[in-house]
Amino acid sequence: MTSINREATPQDPQQPEGAQTLHDDLHEIWGNPRGIKALTIVNHTTLGLRFMVTGMVFFVIGGVLSMLIRTQLATPDQNFMTPDIYSQVTTMHGTVMMFLFAIPILEGLAIYLIPKMIGARDLVCPRLTSLGYFCYLFGGIILSFSMVLEMAPDAGWFMYTPLSSSEYSPGLGSDFWLLGITFVEISALSAGVEIVVSILRTRTQGMALHKMPIFAWYILAMALMIVVGFPPLILGSVLLELERAVGMPFFEVAGGGDPLLWQHLFWLFGHPEVYIIFLPAAGIVSTLIPVFAGRPLVGYGWVVFAIVVTGFISFGLWVHHMFTVGIPQLAQAFFSAASMLVAIPTAIQVFVWLATLWLGKPRFKLPMLWILGFLIIFVCGGLTGVMLALVPFNWQVHDTHFVVAHMHYVLVGGMFFPLMAGLYYWLPLFSGRMPSETIGRWGFWLTFLGFNGTFLIMHWTGLLGMPRRIYTYEAGNGWEIFNLLSSISGFVMSAGIAMVLIDIALHFKFGKPAQHNPWKADTLEWANAMPPSAYNFVSLPKIDTRHPLWDNPDLPRTMAEGKHGLAVTSHGRREMWGTDSITGKVREIIHLPGNSWWPFFAALALAVVCVSLLTRVYALAGVFVIIAGVFLLRWSWENGAHPKAAPDAEVRKGDPPLHSRTMSGPGVWAMATFSIANGSFFLSYLFGWFYLWTVSPQWRMPEVSPLSLVVLVAAGVAMTLGAGVMERLVRGLRVNQDRGLARGFYMSALLGAAQVGLVLWSLLTAGLEPTRTSHDAVLLVGLVYALFHGALAMILSAMQGLRVRHGYVGLHAPFEPAVVVILWRYNVVTFWVLVGALGVLPRVIGG
Amino acid sequence: METAFKRLYLGHPAHLVVGLTLWSIWFVAVYGGLSVACAVAPPAPAQGAWTGLNLGLGLFSLLITALLAWLTWAGWKAGRELTGRPRFNALVSAGLYLFSALGVVFTGMPIIGVPPCL
Repeated sequence: MTSINREATPQDPQQPEGAQTLHDDLHEIWGNPRGIKALTIVNHTTLGLRFMVTGMVFFVIGGVLSMLIRTQLATPDQNFMTPDIYSQVTTMHGTVMMFLFAIPILEGLAIYLIPKMIGARDLVCPRLTSLGYFCYLFGGIILSFSMVLEMAPDAGWFMYTPLSSSEYSPGLGSDFWLLGITFVEISALSAGVEIVVSILRTRTQGMALHKMPIFAWYILAMALMIVVGFPPLILGSVLLELERAVGMPFFEVAGGGDPLLWQHLFWLFGHPEVYIIFLPAAGIVSTLIPVFAGRPLVGYGWVVFAIVVTGFISFGLWVHHMFTVGIPQLAQAFFSAASMLVAIPTAIQVFVWLATLWLGKPRFKLPMLWILGFLIIFVCGGLTGVMLALVPFNWQVHDTHFVVAHMHYVLVGGMFFPLMAGLYYWLPLFSGRMPSETIGRWGFWLTFLGFNGTFLIMHWTGLLGMPRRIYTYEAGNGWEIFNLLSSISGFVMSAGIAMVLIDIALHFKFGKPAQHNPWKADTLEWANAMPPSAYNFVSLPKIDTRHPLWDNPDLPRTMAEGKHGLAVTSHGRREMWGTDSITGKVREIIHLPGNSWWPFFAALALAVVCVSLLTRVYALAGVFVIIAGVFLLRWSWENGAHPKAAPDAEVRKGDPPLHSRTMSGPGVWAMATFSIANGSFFLSYLFGWFYLWTVSPQWRMPEVSPLSLVVLVAAGVAMTLGAGVMERLVRGLRVNQDRGLARGFYMSALLGAAQVGLVLWSLLTAGLEPTRTSHDAVLLVGLVYALFHGALAMILSAMQGLRVRHGYVGLHAPFEPAVVVILWRYNVVTFWVLVGALGVLPRVIGG
Repeated sequence: METAFKRLYLGHPAHLVVGLTLWSIWFVAVYGGLSVACAVAPPAPAQGAWTGLNLGLGLFSLLITALLAWLTWAGWKAGRELTGRPRFNALVSAGLYLFSALGVVFTGMPIIGVPPCL
């Protein structure tokens, strides 16, 4: 769309020719390029599919690794693999399945489905989707490449210190894990942030919170849990990599660190992670059961209740992975009780599903078979979970195959089976074709029987005392027959999964063409074309029911004919509704960026950083950090009133304004959501500081704090003044006052520079010895955190000044300062907390 | 009381997360408080469960339970009076307040009988 008609001219929806023209025009605006330019695609449909296909590739890799494990354990005294290789294989099996398959594929499904389900045309930050995908792809490739080099991590998928520390894992294996996984987590976090904002702010007109598809509630909870749950592991990975690379002793007792800090940080992420995987899968179940039962979900409110409870309680269980490390019994009892509590919301959902099936008229199509398998396996896994919540039993079976069996019942039953149900259910939407029921049923039964043969038996080997992770075992312990049966069943399961994959591959060519809405579903994604167009919907409807396609079966036709909102293309922009987060009332038109190279380039630069850190070429890593920063800033430059975004603000008469012409658009929400993630990282850091201070056996607090309190307070004052200037400018814009706008931004940038300079001075004059004591190492990390945030706020304020000069920011486009000021507020709060924790408290309390 | 109810806007969806946020704060406070107390000044094991630490944790738990119970009642009452979306929010929130209150009681019950720092 090169020529833009300033006067919007809606197509005549009454005429089929008009509707076709509308399709063509929308395609011209939203369509995907081919060839090398396919790397620039930011569309959620394409990127969601890429996430899922890449996830399936990693699933196959993880599956092959699991078969190697079962081959090794099939009989006693095997030497199929050396102990070293076996450790690498088990570590990579867990790592690939958890980080490169389970989370990304569910994110991919959410990225693909959420906009279609809530009546939007894309996610709210399409370039972030693209960045997330490439970070995932590059991180996954880097991590997987370690296997080719026979340098894969071998310290177990949760990388406990000191085994993963440089003393006991001197090669690059742990570094591959720490850097690769952190890279992949950037992807998860970016998806988490934009999914939260998309669900809250881009639902179609009238879709109030209590009328959202239930799947959106599950995904909202999952995304918020990613936002809160991933930063502790990112922090842990950064600290462990710093320990391994330069010797900062965060987890080393002799230097004042504590290996248990790693366990806390890992499981603060790791336990919610189980529910991050389970919730979207349960969302699939709650979506499919009503469709195949032919009636609404029984107890929608109860399910919302259960989702919220699960989202919170799952963060209070992390210590149940650490019952054997020697924490006080009363603390163990708290976590034991909390671990039992989480069974309640799960049970509520199970009863809701059963009640829905009971009261409906179930049709046992292929997806329902997988749901049935899920119900049986997951309930068993949940029950062994309650057993493991009991401290004495947990001690008894800790680190045995019983735990491995429980984990697979929960994860495979709770995630893989519903995922397969979902894939079969939405397959006609992806491809426009139906899968083969016959091959599909064979695939299911082989998988189901093989799974239970593998893991039900593993409970018994565990109860007989077989430890996990041993690379072989002697005959005579009574484990032989069970291991052999487990291994045979494992191969049966693999055959089943292979049949499913073959079925899915074949259906693209041989599957029967699907009828419209083939399962007679109620949600909006089935109002799409099959396969969907890049823009999803020609027009965006007003929704006042939880079951739009059941209550108005004609809706897909009228939407395709452009009879609803935003059926206009003459402006050449990618547009969708921005609605109120609670009521679903339309507030603004969100205009989205088009295809862009910046996310790809930024991810590529970050990949070079990752590889440079791995190979310890730190100068190159530094250069590419700067290059990645430049790419990201250039990306942010093409926003708002920039010629590549929305240079004019023309809208149809009666339509709301463009979001960049308001002060509460989705960017504000994205920044606020990102601040939650950032806050989680910061709180994890504070936890680490206080934990080491309180618990670490050889913690050494110096007599006099090395940090100058006067300099830190001066830095805080400068930053607070800078934030004050920003606040005044934003308040002015709210009342149409823009006097001295550019000057004000430069002033706040200068104050930010003063803060950065003072913190740097404090750092350089403190005489820290971060490789000698964990105390100094923790101080260093805190000050670098403050420096980074101060510098970022300074740069963004200066950029705002420049953008005022270019005419991209001002009274006509007041949006961006309202976003930047959130960072300033965050910085002020965290910096003063940091001053209190690092500068004041040690002086008041002492060592 | 009526004014307090109105000020709480019990039909607002923010209440969907307030109850469990209070539960989380309570949980972190009792676990953190216990850990710090045991590291800094552990009571003598001979005292059993009858320690000042248990008493403090127990009283704090009771206080939070009372607050959550009151919010449960307020949410339930508001839900019966409201309609549509606010009613949905108030009733689900009331359920979540109730769960949070029971969660504090259930999770905190070991405070009564388990010595704190063994």
